[in-house]
Amino acid sequence: MSPVLTPFPLLQRIKFRDAGTLLGLLLIGGVFAVLSPTFLTAPNLLNVLQQSSINACIALGMTLVIISGGIDLSVGPVAALTAVLGASMMVAGVPFGLAVAGALCIGMLCGFINGALIAWGGLQPFIVTLGGLSLYRALALIFTGGQPIFGLPDGFRALTNGTLAGVPNPVVIVAVLAICAWVILNKTPLGEYFMAVGGNPEAARIAGVPVTLTKLAAYMISGLMAAVAAMILIGRLGAAEPTMGTLWELDAIAASAIGGASLMGGRGSIIGTLIGCVILGTLRNGLTLLNVQAFYQLLATGIIIIVAMLIDKATSGK
Amino acid sequence: MIPRLSLSQIEKAFGAHKVLHGVSLTVQPGEVHGLLGENGAGKSTMLNILSGVLSADAGQIEIDGAQVTIASPRSASLAGVAMIHQELQQVPELSVAQNIYLGAALRRAGGLLVDRASQQTEARRLLAPLDASIDVTAPINSLRVAQRQIVEIAKALRANARVIAMDEPTSSLTPTEFDRLVEVIKALAARGVSIIYVSHKMDEVFRICQSATILRDGRLVARVDLPATPIPQVIALMVGRELSHVAHQSFASDQVLLQVSGLSRGRAVQNAAFSLHKGEVLGIAGLVGSGRTELLRLIAGVDSAEAGTVAVNGRPVASGVRARIKAGLGLVPEERKRDGIIRHRPVTSNIGLPAMRQFSRWGIIRRTKLRTRAEELMQEVRLRPFDVSKPIGSFSGGNQQKAIIGRWLAADTQIYLFDEPTRGIDVGAKAEIYDLIEKLAQQGKAIIVVSSELPEVIRVSDRVLVMREGRIAAELAASEITEANIARHAIPAS
Repeated sequence: MSPVLTPFPLLQRIKFRDAGTLLGLLLIGGVFAVLSPTFLTAPNLLNVLQQSSINACIALGMTLVIISGGIDLSVGPVAALTAVLGASMMVAGVPFGLAVAGALCIGMLCGFINGALIAWGGLQPFIVTLGGLSLYRALALIFTGGQPIFGLPDGFRALTNGTLAGVPNPVVIVAVLAICAWVILNKTPLGEYFMAVGGNPEAARIAGVPVTLTKLAAYMISGLMAAVAAMILIGRLGAAEPTMGTLWELDAIAASAIGGASLMGGRGSIIGTLIGCVILGTLRNGLTLLNVQAFYQLLATGIIIIVAMLIDKATSGK
Repeated sequence: MIPRLSLSQIEKAFGAHKVLHGVSLTVQPGEVHGLLGENGAGKSTMLNILSGVLSADAGQIEIDGAQVTIASPRSASLAGVAMIHQELQQVPELSVAQNIYLGAALRRAGGLLVDRASQQTEARRLLAPLDASIDVTAPINSLRVAQRQIVEIAKALRANARVIAMDEPTSSLTPTEFDRLVEVIKALAARGVSIIYVSHKMDEVFRICQSATILRDGRLVARVDLPATPIPQVIALMVGRELSHVAHQSFASDQVLLQVSGLSRGRAVQNAAFSLHKGEVLGIAGLVGSGRTELLRLIAGVDSAEAGTVAVNGRPVASGVRARIKAGLGLVPEERKRDGIIRHRPVTSNIGLPAMRQFSRWGIIRRTKLRTRAEELMQEVRLRPFDVSKPIGSFSGGNQQKAIIGRWLAADTQIYLFDEPTRGIDVGAKAEIYDLIEKLAQQGKAIIVVSSELPEVIRVSDRVLVMREGRIAAELAASEITEANIARHAIPAS
């Protein structure tokens, strides 16, 4: 059968659900644009993206985990652990490139431990990563004695504070990672495996999908993304705190859900997740510009998540 | 006589797609009425409208002469309509009595507490004429499917159902259990309860039903009296064409492709040994629970064997699904929804799953190649509707099955393991699947077909193994394959 011809081939490729998320973002953005003159300026919009980049980084990994039928509650503490270990390596004089590589490996190792307990151990993802949530945080606190690590090298900090063609480097890094995640999900066998394992693990197994390795891969990517987010954040702050990353997992899950990921597994979208992150970022930015109390920002976030789910429910089956 | 149930001029459309065109159906009190048609004919939609899951766009429903509005499953229940689904809707961990009173618990202490004792007494009273051996305090998941069905019927009686609709009630019953169900249905009918019976199995319909409504493509084709109308005529009305009965042709060669020896797992499969030749169709018959499905899963590597080997082309194959798939084995599972399909994914993805690497270059899936191959394969098996980019879950059972078979065709599988290949599939698609099996044999593939339907086993097989209590009890050569022979070996001696 020949594909339906439309005058907008590119639009045709954007999925129905992603278009909905985008519409949500435009609506929210539109409201702020009307209410605040500074909202719709280039520096502010870049600021929104920059503020969203950490959450987006985490949410990319989270989306893949959720699509594969799991959940990763341990991302915040994994970020904290990689942050303090990476930072202490740098402070100890290890070249920062090597230290970053080390930190990323530690992130993947944490993901591997989560994934191994889930895939081989047969434990429930929620419980395993809930354990991880405490465990990795504890390790970070024990390692530092609860103290932040200061004195990160300038070369490293320049990397995360710089810009590329006017766009902050963190945004560029996350954009590149998002493209990678999109390619993995939509263009590679691994992506098909994520969706198959999340959609119906038993059927996937009978069809010859390497279920164990697929799950392992999802958690390792999630750990890696947590480590990348940690590196971006400590570069920007110039210090690594063992308490950083608190509640990151919830923001990432929220962004994934707003973007259309089903917590039952099998469905989700990288583009949707990114827009979800920007929606959350826009809310915070816009409400701050309007001098709305932080309590109301929390309220708005909660409402957005629930409204997104209601719309999802109402339009599912289309 | 005022009919017990009368649906008249029912119309239903999903978007632009009209699935029921003014269908009418009438059932008298105490009548057992068949609702027949191929998958997609509109039977499920009719049942869903009757049980309040869907609402009709137009048309009337009357019960005992009074017009009723059925807007929800609850109002259906209040109107006296009960539905027994193919996949029983019970809470597995709760007891029989609790399931019977689900959503309508008997209460005491002014409605604050559930009166379990009365529930159990009442449940026992309801079950007594149906199957007194069922323990009302036992959890549902400890019961056999046949017993769970009886519990569903008891639940319908508890709700004072005047009409009970049964959707494929026998898909997993043994012949003895079916006999028992026939008795229960007759007893219900004698009490004046009207039964609407949906099944693809013609022999059952002819045994149970006094009349039937036949649908095709959402339209009422005929209302026939049974068993007065001959089976071929009923089937012709259903499919709109006469099904040809092709004489069985064997393509079996001498070359052994699969050699199974000493395969065992617990009591389910004990010391199974046989060989399978290129181009051969081997039927495996036996009662439900005789170990057929388990044996197939062991061969496919889905479950791991405690002892024994599986060799393909003379070389032993390691355990595990992936190793077995690589060696050329592929399982088409019995429970399509649970073990076969990835519901939300398109047909292409479901087909490509075992052979993703084959459809990839430098780690990137070549979508065009996958799509072309999927369309090629699905054209051959006549997928309907022909759109491989639609989620597989949106297709009918028969078409899902075609896609699952297509999966192994795409992976260049040499040995096909079919577990109940036509379960829950309509007559037309059934014939297509038999044709496909024959075509595979002709191409020199080796095929095992596990089936509970003897006519099916007899139709497709070159040779039949009969399993009994976990063992291969007999091997029947082509000339020995008869219903009587299979039954004689399948039924335990005791």
